[in-house]
Amino acid sequence: MTNEKKESEYKDSFDLNLPPNPNYILEVRHLKKYFPLETNVFGKPKAYLHAVDDISFGIEKGKTIGIVGESGCGKTTLGRTILRLYDITDGKVFFEGEDVAKMKTKELRKKRVDMQLIFQDPYSSLPPRMTVGQIISEAVKVHHIVPKEKVSEHVKEIMRKCGLREQYFDRYPHEFSGGQRQRICIARALAVNPKLVICDEPVSALDVSIQAQIINLLKELQKEMGLTYIFISHDLSVVKYITDKIAVMYLGNMMEIGNTKEIFSEPLHPYTQALFSAVPVPDPDEKMNRIILEGDIPSPANPPSGCKFHTRCSKCMEVCKVECPKFIHYKDDHYVACHLYDEYMLMKNKELEEQKKLQDLPLKEESKKDEEKD
Amino acid sequence: MFKKKDKSGYLTIKESRKIIKYNIKQMRYYENEKKKKVDPSAYITKMKDPNNLIEIDNLQTHFFTDNGTVKSVNGVSFNIPKNKIIGVVGESGCGKSVTSLSIMQLVQAPQGQVVGGEIRFNSDDLSLDEEENKLAYNIVKMPTKEMYKIRGKDITMIFQEPMTSLNPVFTVGYQLDEVTFVHYPEKTKEEAKNHSIEMLKQVGISMPERVYKSYPHELSGGMRQRVMIAMALSGDPKLIIADEPTTALDVTIQAQILDLLKNIQKRTKCSIMLITHDLGVIAEMADEVVVMYAGKVIEKGTVREIFHDPKHPYTIGLQKSKPLITSNTDEPLYSIPGQVPNPINMPNTCFFKSRCNKCIKKCSNKYPSEVKLTDTHVVSCYLYEKEGE
Repeated sequence: MTNEKKESEYKDSFDLNLPPNPNYILEVRHLKKYFPLETNVFGKPKAYLHAVDDISFGIEKGKTIGIVGESGCGKTTLGRTILRLYDITDGKVFFEGEDVAKMKTKELRKKRVDMQLIFQDPYSSLPPRMTVGQIISEAVKVHHIVPKEKVSEHVKEIMRKCGLREQYFDRYPHEFSGGQRQRICIARALAVNPKLVICDEPVSALDVSIQAQIINLLKELQKEMGLTYIFISHDLSVVKYITDKIAVMYLGNMMEIGNTKEIFSEPLHPYTQALFSAVPVPDPDEKMNRIILEGDIPSPANPPSGCKFHTRCSKCMEVCKVECPKFIHYKDDHYVACHLYDEYMLMKNKELEEQKKLQDLPLKEESKKDEEKD
Repeated sequence: MFKKKDKSGYLTIKESRKIIKYNIKQMRYYENEKKKKVDPSAYITKMKDPNNLIEIDNLQTHFFTDNGTVKSVNGVSFNIPKNKIIGVVGESGCGKSVTSLSIMQLVQAPQGQVVGGEIRFNSDDLSLDEEENKLAYNIVKMPTKEMYKIRGKDITMIFQEPMTSLNPVFTVGYQLDEVTFVHYPEKTKEEAKNHSIEMLKQVGISMPERVYKSYPHELSGGMRQRVMIAMALSGDPKLIIADEPTTALDVTIQAQILDLLKNIQKRTKCSIMLITHDLGVIAEMADEVVVMYAGKVIEKGTVREIFHDPKHPYTIGLQKSKPLITSNTDEPLYSIPGQVPNPINMPNTCFFKSRCNKCIKKCSNKYPSEVKLTDTHVVSCYLYEKEGE
């Protein structure tokens, strides 16, 4: 009984029919993004790749949410779908109370001023034939952020904030190192005074000593301008340092979401546990109880049934292979999608296992005999 | 003031021509040196310590570019003992990869040339000389033909990008067999296949027969890296050079690969030279650590010495600038100011001087020499030179 109650509690907060929650600057509700894989003769898609499958979360203003997961789990797609760089298949994205999914192109263009993106690779995301000044001022001019005469002044102000010298205004991107280029990317994103910035692996292409500079810069700018960040990264130590909230993704599904401190002190989902334990600690005497996951991520085009993680999970039960887990409220802001924390599912699992035992008994004995022979 | 500084970064046509002329002369000289027929006595030397597998002594690898000579590796010396894992850390462009390529004689020629120093390889093919010194090959002076016998067999390499280092048009099996044929020409096709499948089994691939027949694009990143490791193992190597073997992989796959490498090292008793920029990986894997900065070794020692008692300001800064997964601070991260200096026309002083927070008067003298703190811990920094004197 209690579980059903909990489930309903969770469902209420992200129900599609509810009005947007005023506490959140960005609220994502049951967001789905499917890519068509094959088409039949008439051009209708036969199969879909579930890149983002039913994801819900919300962020308050001025906070940072981290999205972590292995490559191919849909982190980047999620970030881009929120900006509607990809069309949304299903679900809602509320930005300041307005549904981004329903916006028309013109409205969207205006809204995108408030939502900016910082890309992963500072080498390929800057146009080589434009000067730094042109790159940063382009969006300012297009959106009429400041009057024409004040554009260069505004750009120089932003450059100063991002730790770029004024003299760099007339230089070209190839004259800069990786760290400086990432600063230019950040300056370009911030030049239009956004409210939300999606950082798509902003530091993973940089060296350690430069990483620290960029992370500090991002944090300072957040304080100064009251920015909200969605921080997409696979580097858990960086994510832990910079975020207030963490969402763990696996194969397009959300596995666990909660406050950073809570999630690190008490990771619930077996995948989260394995992910955290896999991070190498720079201390030779620290021996972590490493959980080494076997195998690779299954192909997202052909995901496993039930819980998508069950093929690699060390605590896999019978029910995991059949039932897709629902998000369960565990503590304050901590939600997890795992049958281990669902009493009803644990009950169901027992039944299933008993059934399976009865079925498998003759089979297992045979296989045992075979093993002995080998 | 600023304008002057700015202009110094550009070359006049005269200067540029001068550089190109000089480069051509240098490159011709070194290329001809390689083609000459050399007597074996020229490249056989003595090991200083027979327990070392590789001794790198004052290695200098330069690149002759149109903007000037880049001293990528500028007097690097360290040893790789037998049956140990050596970690080499440093930022990109510090010369760690070039050092490893120099060991393999794979530096991009003709621009890149090993211009000085010695790399002594303690091969089992050579015995003791009259004075009971262990003989060794000097890889720097070895002609390319002789190098074929060592490269890929005794010394192998695992590259960073498993995607680009496997040939996409041949099956995994074909590429694995090729290695076997090169080093054991007497083997038949059937034997080579069995050998390759055995290697695939050793790196923990569950269906080696199927992987043997598949093409690289059919495998995931982790599997490809396993295939690369299998290829490296098939010559029964003494030294595996792993150049950022896990940088392109996810954390969970990284854990698998590191675990595998460790097991292989224990089983085959080979040495591994692990090149990475991730201090966490080094702390977990390595027995000894070499920290490089701008083509020089600035500190070396055992893992515990480097991580618990780092001495060089750069090593300290590097460790402080990475947020720890085990700590809970909100304070701003320590960051080393500035950037790695321009590799052309390096100053004659300590290369880290302009970014260092512990700079003293002495630092404006010439490059600091190595100071021995303990038997294993060596640092080149003026801060510690006083104590030694």
